Amino acid sequence: MKPTNSMSIHVIGRIACIVALILIVMIPLSICLKFDIFPPMKNFLGGFFQAVMIYLPISIAEFLTFVPILGSGAYLAFITGNLTNLKIPCAAVAMENAQVKPATDEGEVIAILAVASSSIMTIIIILIGMLLIIPLSPLLNHVYLRPAFDNVLPALFGALGAYFFMKQWILAISPLVCSILFAFIIINFTGIQFTSIQGALIPVLGLISVLAGLAFYKKGLITGDDMK
Amino acid sequence: MNYLDIANSSFVFMVCGIVIAAVLIICCVFLAWAWRRGLELGMTREVMVRTIKTSMTFSIAPSIPIIIALTAMVGVLGIPFPWLRLSIIGSFQYELMTAQIGATSMGISTLGGSGYTAQVFSNSMWIMSLGIIWGMLFSILFLKRFSSGLINAQKKDSTRIAIIITALYFGMLSVFVGPPVVSGGIQLYTLAVSALLMVTITQLTRRNESAGDYAFTLSMVGGMVFAALWANLI
Repeated sequence: MKPTNSMSIHVIGRIACIVALILIVMIPLSICLKFDIFPPMKNFLGGFFQAVMIYLPISIAEFLTFVPILGSGAYLAFITGNLTNLKIPCAAVAMENAQVKPATDEGEVIAILAVASSSIMTIIIILIGMLLIIPLSPLLNHVYLRPAFDNVLPALFGALGAYFFMKQWILAISPLVCSILFAFIIINFTGIQFTSIQGALIPVLGLISVLAGLAFYKKGLITGDDMK
Repeated sequence: MNYLDIANSSFVFMVCGIVIAAVLIICCVFLAWAWRRGLELGMTREVMVRTIKTSMTFSIAPSIPIIIALTAMVGVLGIPFPWLRLSIIGSFQYELMTAQIGATSMGISTLGGSGYTAQVFSNSMWIMSLGIIWGMLFSILFLKRFSSGLINAQKKDSTRIAIIITALYFGMLSVFVGPPVVSGGIQLYTLAVSALLMVTITQLTRRNESAGDYAFTLSMVGGMVFAALWANLI
């Protein structure tokens, strides 16, 4: 069903991304103009290309992985950031609760509502955190509380993993086994910090997971009813 | 002039505040669009209000570590710029690493260390700002075609597309499950406790849809409380 009385989400999304890009460039530009602190072009380009080498491949993989889940909600998610630890889990949970599927009109509506409200909440919380940074800092880093915040990701992904494993264990088993295997090799034999390559592993495990899922589908181990 | 005087100046606060306010407006525009579109599609107000409420509640706990990252960044980059980067666009895993690239490309080994002048700070800002723009750029160029293609493919073979999307999501989830399982200790116990809580709450609230909405938040917070207790009492 085409939108009847509203502007296309792709027009809004593109305008929003263009505005965000301009604003992002305006920040260092205005600060450099005001205080006359432009870095030498040679040094800037050296650092910029180094950053591009790291983030461009990760961003291509993130784009290919996250757009199918978020649909047009990805416009806002890429503007507001914190995708893996916030926006994607939040949108996936919202679609699950509303019993709608990604890549459908209804799924897209729920994903956008989830990403937008999650972004607003995060902006408000960080604003409060920033305003209260002096009294909050010792509290958040307190020896009794710090372990709770250090373990947000295991707590988040434990709950999400358990739920989706209960629902579709056959699809979850291959990426889970591969993730444990990769983590075992990386942590025990390479000396590389796992968190530094987490971004690069997302598309790798995504691909393994998709290939295994399609193979199960072909063999009849997953049917249309399983995905309803 | 010390670079932190510039980094914490009212001018930098003002420009960062303006950009965050602009992004808040963008969020509201998307929210309003989705609300209208939902009504057009025949979705009920109740479902949409529930989505907004549960998404906001869900986002509270994962936002706290972002404040901790902010406390870690303000010492080296001042308050307003990290506030901006962590509120929007950025992600706390990437920000300090990119700022460090800005420093090393100016020949300075440590962020905020000796030789980290206002010019080095500005180089860090430029590289943080321009190094991570790709998601937005790709969205402008390719998102329409990509997501329309998916919706069309979904109409042709919905099971296949559902499998691909679910599998991609599971691939992402798994990346965060492997390390705690291998490392063991508090990370593994936290993962196990929140998983167990999730299974229990899902079973208990099977017949009550709206109670189930908060199952993820409760399980996550339960896991975090367990982690604090485990680390301090055992």
